[in-house]
Amino acid sequence: MLSLLALVIPLLMGVIALVVPWRRWIGWGSALSSAGVLGIGIALSITTSSHAPVSALHGTLRADALSSFMVVVIGTVSLLATLQTPRVMRREIAEGITTARRASYYVVLMQAFITCMLTAVLAANLGVLWVAVEATTIATTFLVSHSRTKKAIEASWKYVMLCSVGIALAFLGTVLVYFAALHSGVATPGTVSLNWTSLMAIAPHLNHGVMRLAITLLVLGYGTKVGLAPTHSWLADAHSQAPAPVSALMSGVLLTVAFYALLRFKAIADAALGVDFPRALFIVVGLLSLLVAAILLIAQRDYKRMLAYSSVEHMGLLALGAAAGSSLAIAAVLLHMLGHGLTKSTLFISSGEIAHAEGTTEIAKVKALLARRPVLGGIFGCGLIALLGFPPFSLFISEFTMARAEVNVGLWWVVALSLVFLSVIFVSITNHARHMLLGGDSSVAVPLNAQSVVVPLVAALATSSFMGVSAWPLLTLLRAAAHVVAR
Amino acid sequence: MSTSFYVGALELTAGAVLVCAVMTLWRRQVRTIVTMLRFQGVALAAVAGVLAWHEHDLGLAITAALVLAVKGALVPLLLRRVIRLDPRSRETAPLINVPASLVSAAFLIVVSYVVSSKLTALAPSAATRLVPIGVATVLVGYFMLVTRRRSVSQIVGLLLVDNGIALVTFLLTAGVPLIVELGATLDVLLVVVVLQVLVVNAGAQHGSFDLDEMRELHD
Amino acid sequence: MTHVGTPLAYAIIASILQVALIALGGPLLMGLMAKVRARAEGRVGAPIHQPLRDLRKLMGKERLRAQHSSAVLAVAPLVVFGSTALAVAISPLVTTHPLLSASADLFVIVYLLLTGSVTMALAGLDTGTVFGGMGSSRAITVGALAEPALLVAVIALSIQARTSNLPAIVADTITHPVWTSTPTRILALVALVIVVIAETGRLPVDNPNTHLELTMIHEAMTLEYAGSDLGLVTLGAAMRLGLLFALLMNLFVPWGVATGNSIPWLLAAVVFLALKTSLLAAAVSLIEVHSAKLRLFRVPELLAGGFVLAVLAVITQLATR
Repeated sequence: MLSLLALVIPLLMGVIALVVPWRRWIGWGSALSSAGVLGIGIALSITTSSHAPVSALHGTLRADALSSFMVVVIGTVSLLATLQTPRVMRREIAEGITTARRASYYVVLMQAFITCMLTAVLAANLGVLWVAVEATTIATTFLVSHSRTKKAIEASWKYVMLCSVGIALAFLGTVLVYFAALHSGVATPGTVSLNWTSLMAIAPHLNHGVMRLAITLLVLGYGTKVGLAPTHSWLADAHSQAPAPVSALMSGVLLTVAFYALLRFKAIADAALGVDFPRALFIVVGLLSLLVAAILLIAQRDYKRMLAYSSVEHMGLLALGAAAGSSLAIAAVLLHMLGHGLTKSTLFISSGEIAHAEGTTEIAKVKALLARRPVLGGIFGCGLIALLGFPPFSLFISEFTMARAEVNVGLWWVVALSLVFLSVIFVSITNHARHMLLGGDSSVAVPLNAQSVVVPLVAALATSSFMGVSAWPLLTLLRAAAHVVAR
Repeated sequence: MSTSFYVGALELTAGAVLVCAVMTLWRRQVRTIVTMLRFQGVALAAVAGVLAWHEHDLGLAITAALVLAVKGALVPLLLRRVIRLDPRSRETAPLINVPASLVSAAFLIVVSYVVSSKLTALAPSAATRLVPIGVATVLVGYFMLVTRRRSVSQIVGLLLVDNGIALVTFLLTAGVPLIVELGATLDVLLVVVVLQVLVVNAGAQHGSFDLDEMRELHD
Repeated sequence: MTHVGTPLAYAIIASILQVALIALGGPLLMGLMAKVRARAEGRVGAPIHQPLRDLRKLMGKERLRAQHSSAVLAVAPLVVFGSTALAVAISPLVTTHPLLSASADLFVIVYLLLTGSVTMALAGLDTGTVFGGMGSSRAITVGALAEPALLVAVIALSIQARTSNLPAIVADTITHPVWTSTPTRILALVALVIVVIAETGRLPVDNPNTHLELTMIHEAMTLEYAGSDLGLVTLGAAMRLGLLFALLMNLFVPWGVATGNSIPWLLAAVVFLALKTSLLAAAVSLIEVHSAKLRLFRVPELLAGGFVLAVLAVITQLATR
């Protein structure tokens, strides 16, 4: 029942935004719906971390601990993003960039986007999961091209093309899993389905050759949506051209939802093939993503693209953590998902403000931000510190724990390599940050007036640092969620 | 229906899907390419129809009708709107020229046969033995997506990938559960709608939609 | 006598009959194609046996050789005629048991035809003129793309019959009529039609009536011959046309080919072959009427397409075995 409610609330808000002409309260309404989703997520988590998974809609929706955690992540980041909607839309309408009708469409698409993501994490059937992930591509295309500039349209074209190909490959992988299940020898034809639980039950009997092909296709396919190399090239374009709250939502949570799909499939593959082959796959894409991110961050000129490539890096880290596969590793991966969601969305939203205030997204043209715009610069700077994995922010503890878990499994060479790449990334980002933030400027410091920017972002950073120090509220949930897919 | 008729019909329709894919690589007129895509949609629906008849599967029959409506009629119709907006009607300078593309397609067809052997080995039957044809269509579609410059050609490449995967799905599993199939086909339609709207928007705002000029975003 | 005693005698008679038939029939086919084209264009056109009359005229004329040419030019007409005649003798045209039928492998026949083409190309280079060299290079380009397509298309057929011996393939197809309508056959047929059009130098690949520098391929190579040399070369080209058309028809529609030992059947097979090849010639001629000559750099596209169709035929055959 709760899971159904989680879907209905944002959907309802979307319908309202579609029907009712644009008003300020529609923007606030979408923030309210996200708050509602977060609340439901928390409620679901409390239920499922101690009791059995919850089902709704005749078993179409299923919330176990992992799904509930994902709902919490989606709710949190979407709350941050939708809180920006009223202010951003008002500003854009005032400046003539958007019309009221396009603002309505913006809210409708955002709500559709959030609903699709929630469907994906709450789906019991892997086919429905696929449909939901594909639907997010369609919903976000017009969000990416919202500003209708030539670059935005180019970015959304590339986005749709590459992600559609990737998602098609993921469909083929799903079909192959279904094919293996049909001919596994243990299931009667009437009972075979793409439900994750039934697939996990018959996993040991699935044909090895077919499953190997399937998991490779799935890693390539869903990996495109996650932004893992080698199919990452759409990420920088799409996330840099989209409006800031959309980038926040996409980078913060959409990538993670696609990774959630990978986790589900990896669990099946581990049960069917043993840990080695899937682990090798994930290590390859993980290290490749780190390498690509490291190389492309060195001479980066645009700070939004810098943030996007940093997402590629963090997704690579997630892949390496999932490769380790132990309970500790998966728990760290999940914590990293939440921390990255909070941090990246903070950074994107503040970068949106910087872009609007400075009029450019080039690193070279933004100087002495801390001196001229202390609050904005401070938030951006703290966000970058959090992103780089400094304590007390939670990304530190999640990266450290992932490394520990990888060493425990014997992947010390992976940890060594990733540390090399991370050092390069650390230096690059610090360099760019120094360029943007530091320096003296004699002009008067401009205060940032908007509460709706400062309060949520500061709250996000505070939450992240709290989680970095004490995992207390999440510990049971993380343990239960990790247990679902860990090996 | 008798077995040999079923096998023959299946071979014919599946083969037609791949031949249409090869023809899209071969021909230069964008209009002809879209017509080939339409034939391919019809052939794909025919494959599903033959399988539905043989297995007496109503869900698959509904899927066949859906595929015919969407891929055989609606999608080519939408692509025609895109053609009207893109002033150039011929693929005059693909990244890899036509004879080399065709030879590469032949190579990809052989590769697909090798790759699919594991799949056929799991459950040998008249239908699964034709899986290489579906995989070959996917590879040819991917090739076209990567080497062509016209926006319509890239969309056609994407649709070839989708059609190939749909063919593999029909042959391997006689279709996935109906709701997933519905979702997949509708998603294809929506993707084409989205792409078409993008082209229309770009055309309205910036005069024309030329992929050659879309080189501004890079590192 | 109505039956021959030993198969060897039968084979010898059959092969001689084949060579004579193609030697006479090749030019007749060319005349037929010209006539069909003329009628389609609203003209009366030359009589069908005009090419034979031209050949007789040429054979009586004086032989002239270019001053700086070598033995290659002297020997080329004989090699072309000889190799083509040998290929005709061992191919399954009117019977499935011609002479040396055990050696009538696909590769042998293609090799014999190739010997002829390569010799023509070398002789074209031999005189040192520009036209000759140009024609040779164009012909080899077309040949380089057409040969693989030809081989792969017939390999598709040979996979089905489990042998690459052409007479055996024809015999197997006669006993399994259901094979004719498989997708493999259709694909191989289309591929082979494209190849045959290329190899025999018909439109849209090459215009047999042109002598313009821009458009000549085969004609450019024969410019330096005169008299009986030219007669032999033209006869060789006509026999090549006849052989390829007859092989094409016999591989796909083999009924009418004599499989037994009797002479009357052999003679009936001659009639059937004449009928089938005339139909094919008329069809090709109609294709010619309706198509313009392809620009030279577009010819590889057509041939590559034929190659892909041939590969498709092979893969379809492997996949549906």
